[in-house]
This record gives sequence, C-alpha cells and structure tokens, in this order.
Amino acid sequence: MISAQQLLERIQKHVGVPWQSQRADGFSDGVLQGNAETIVTGIVTTFTPTLEVLRKAVASGKNTVICREAPFYSRGERAPLFWRNGPAPPKELVDNDTVCRAKQEFIAQNNVVILRLCENWDARENDGQLRGLARAFGWEQFHVSSKKGSPEYHPHNVYFSLPNTSLNSLAQSVREKSKIQCPRVIGDSSSSVQKVALTHGVLLVAEAERILREPVDVVVAGDAVEWEAAPYFQDLVTAKKAKGLVLIGHEASEEPGSGVMAEWLKSFISEAPIEWIPAGEPFWRLS
Amino acid sequence: MDRTEMSRRRFCQLAGSGLLFAPTLSQAQMSMSSKLTAREVVARIHKNVGVPWRTPTADEFKVGDPDAPITGITTTFMSTLDVLERSVAAGNNFIITHEPTFWSAADIVSDVRDDPFYDYKLNFIAKNKLVVWRFHDHWHAHRPDGIFTGWDRAMGWESYAAPSDNPFSHEYVIPETSFEELAREMQAKLKTRSMRLVGDPKSKVARVANAGHYIQQCMQALPHVDVLLVFECREWEAAEYVRDAIAAGQKKALIQLPHEGGEEAGMDECARWLRTFVPEVPIKFIPSGDPFWMPG
Repeated sequence: MISAQQLLERIQKHVGVPWQSQRADGFSDGVLQGNAETIVTGIVTTFTPTLEVLRKAVASGKNTVICREAPFYSRGERAPLFWRNGPAPPKELVDNDTVCRAKQEFIAQNNVVILRLCENWDARENDGQLRGLARAFGWEQFHVSSKKGSPEYHPHNVYFSLPNTSLNSLAQSVREKSKIQCPRVIGDSSSSVQKVALTHGVLLVAEAERILREPVDVVVAGDAVEWEAAPYFQDLVTAKKAKGLVLIGHEASEEPGSGVMAEWLKSFISEAPIEWIPAGEPFWRLS
Repeated sequence: MDRTEMSRRRFCQLAGSGLLFAPTLSQAQMSMSSKLTAREVVARIHKNVGVPWRTPTADEFKVGDPDAPITGITTTFMSTLDVLERSVAAGNNFIITHEPTFWSAADIVSDVRDDPFYDYKLNFIAKNKLVVWRFHDHWHAHRPDGIFTGWDRAMGWESYAAPSDNPFSHEYVIPETSFEELAREMQAKLKTRSMRLVGDPKSKVARVANAGHYIQQCMQALPHVDVLLVFECREWEAAEYVRDAIAAGQKKALIQLPHEGGEEAGMDECARWLRTFVPEVPIKFIPSGDPFWMPG
C-alpha cells in the first residue's frame, strides 16, 4: 500500500534533480486536489485531467491522476507574464461555475487525488516530453545529438535531420502520427524541408532564437503566442530565413510525454497499477 | 556599444538627414500636397478617440521619425514584414498597427536586441523610412469598441448584439442555426483558415458570446450562451473548459479563431474612421491575414 503523499515522496526521491516546490506565481508540483493521505488504488498519467479522463481512471479502479495541467482551466497565476494566458478566475466564480462544480463533485465522490508533475519532470537531464514526442513521430532514428556527452534527449538536443520532404507533407505526417485534426502551419506548403527542430508546449521567441542559432528549416511546437513567436516565424518566412512553423496543439505536443512518465513511474512503483490515458485533442475542424 | 544602439543611431541619422530619401512617384505626388506628419495624425486621433489618453499605454511610436512628412497610411492588425513590404509597394510610409512589431506585448526591445533578425526588420523599416505607431488600448477604449464594431460589420451581426453586464463580453442572439453552419458562415466571412471547434456540429445554436482570450471571460459568459467564441486563448483554458462542460451534459460549443480572425476587421474599421478626419493622405487597410493554414 502507498498513499498519495508517499507516492509524491517516492517521485521526489527518483526525479534526480533538486525538487522545486514553489513557483513564484501559480500552481506548483504536488497534490492539487484530494487528500494526500488517500491510499493509491491505481495511477493514471495524462496531459490534463479532463472529466472524461477522470471517469476512465475511476472506471478502471484508479484514483490517482498525475498531470501537467490543472483541473480548472487555469494555471493559477494571478499575474501571468505578458498576458500570454488568463489570470486565475476569482474563487467565487469558480465555486459557482456549473462545469467546475460537476468536476469537483466527481473528484470528491470518487476520492480522486490529482497530482501535478510538470516543472520537476521538465527539469530532468533527459527530456521525457521530447523523447515521447520523437518516438510518437517515429523520428528517433533522425535525431541529431548535437551536444556530445549530453544525454540523448537533453532539452537542447531538439534537432532532427529528416529525409527531404515538403512542408505540407511534413505537416500531414505529424498530423497522422499525432492523430489530430488541427495542426496549424506558417510557411509555403511546397517549401522543401529537411532540418527540423522539435519542441513541446508553448514556443517562446527566446527559445526560437536559441534554436535558430543552428540552421533549421522548420520548428515543430505545441502552441505559440500569436503576437510573439507566430509573427516572428511569419517574418522569418517573408525574409526567407526559415521555411516555417508547425503547431500541433498543446495537448498533442505534451501527451506522448505522459506515456514516458508512466513507464518511468513503473520503474519504482510496484504497489499500484499505472496507466497512461491520453486526454486527446480537444478540437475538430470543418472538412 | 551594442548592435541595437548602432541600429538605432543609424536609423536616426537616416531619418534625420533625408539623404537616403528617394521619392517614389506616389511619395512625390503626396509631398506636393501634404506636409502632414505622423505626430499630427496621432494628435488628431487623441482628439477624436473620445476617451482620456491613458498612461502607461502600448499606443506609442515604436520606430521611425514621427516628424517626417507622411505619404500614406496603412492600418493593419499586425505590422508583419509582409505588411510593411506591401505598405512600401502601396506608397504608404506610416503604419498604424493594432499588435506589436517586434514580437512581444510591449515591443520589449531588450528581449530581442541580440537577435540579428531584430536588426533585419529594423533595417527594412529604416531603409524605407517607415514610421510605426501602435493603436491598441485606445481603439478598444473607444465607444463603441472599434475592434468589435469592425468585427460585427464583417459578420453582418450589427443588429444581433445583445445587452450584457460584462464589458469584456460581447453577446449576440442570431437566427437559430446548427453549430456547423455557424462555423462555416464565420469561416467564410472572416476568411479564416485555422478555425478550431469544440462541440456537436448538429447542435442548434442561437446565443453566442465573444469571450476574448481568457478563461475568466469564458466562465462569465458560458451560462448565458450556446457558443463561446475566443480568438487566441491558451489551450488549457477555453477548449478544456468547454470540453468538460459537454462531458458534464451541457449543450455548449466553442469556436476558437486565430487572434487575427477576431480583431483584424477592427483595423479596416479604423481606416474608415481615420478617413473622417485625415483627408490629406490616402489611407489603406492592409490585412496581415490568418497566419496559419491547416494541411488537408
């Protein structure tokens, strides 16, 4: 038997980096919902604890969900940087919101524990999110380990040398591999592309600048702020300094890493079953 | 001295000397009839916008010499390099942009000053003697909000606006249709290529709220409406919220537009408005367009 608190301590022991327990603003890693003394009946890893993921977890007898995003549609930041995302809604609004209440009741009735594991997971020497994504795309064979002596999926080892293709074919390919409908692309669809940088989550300009110190045709990322990295790439394409940007969606870019996290947890947790349940892309598009 | 300061100094020299001023036909024509400067246009905007000028504000000159004569005005959602090139081709040297020029909310140049691509864009602006001024906060503060006025007009929804207590939420009651038909109509009217949807395509919808970018506005509006509309909202906010609303049994839907799709028409409106008090130079709305496309 293991409690949620003991599970958290076990994770802290195995994560391999000094535990960062406090973010300056917003939710930190740790138990976000439920009682830390709850005995863990099973563990689900996922990008975000949607109501559907919680139902699937409970239906399979698992009461503990480990996720990157918080359950109530906010990262809890009172003053998000540069208005990139929304500030945390007032407590009264959340408490009276019918959607939040439905989820809150489901969590309470089923003794669900929601445990956030994001910053500490990303601080590891080996980027599990990047590895998961590269594996989902079948790109491991094309990975350029540019920094000798670093672990293969060190967070800066983002470069992939692919067989030459068009930007459109690349976007089609990642769409199929990610099983998504809505990748969004900047650039000329017929451009020839070969050197690709792969990232996950929201791509910021500072990261794009670092990546582009090496010649890169295309960056693949989750999402981009549409007055920051998106117009930066529009301008790079206009100036013919890059071929484009492919945004596969935040969920699609982070979800395979939840699968890697499930495998990692299995290496030191034997007291409860562990399963990765993808939240899936939230969107569809017109045909 | 770093590169940025050199660029700035070079730019000031260029702008001040007039030595590199090679007039195009349209510039020559306009300079015959007008000595109007960008600063004078902005002074007229201050006078006509109808709300006290705020400080601090994003609505400032970002680059260029505000006291040089202008040949023509471009209004746009985003002063991308492409829009700047098209402005030069149109003979317009004054760009009024709703969104940033240097890829950060407040055009925080310190963030990009070591980036050679910052110099690239700055040099293009200097070489073509462009002036860029941002018009964001006060165009939204204008009553009615100039951005929403333009959007309503683009959609043909002027008569559907419903009263709302929430100044950040713009609600509409439209003739009942299916969610899919609404999405198709909006995609066509806004010429958007990257619309993303959550919800049952067959559900009947009539009440729509434009909830902006953030989850708080979504939570405030969702109880009143069938469809939430957001234009750029981080994906852990509106999309997950509406997905859960549907899972909880509510008949709700979400249209997520690119930021441009929700605001670009407001800069067409801005061009119309400017023409009422800036008669001396041509004024052209140059859309930056949906930045994205989706593979088939």
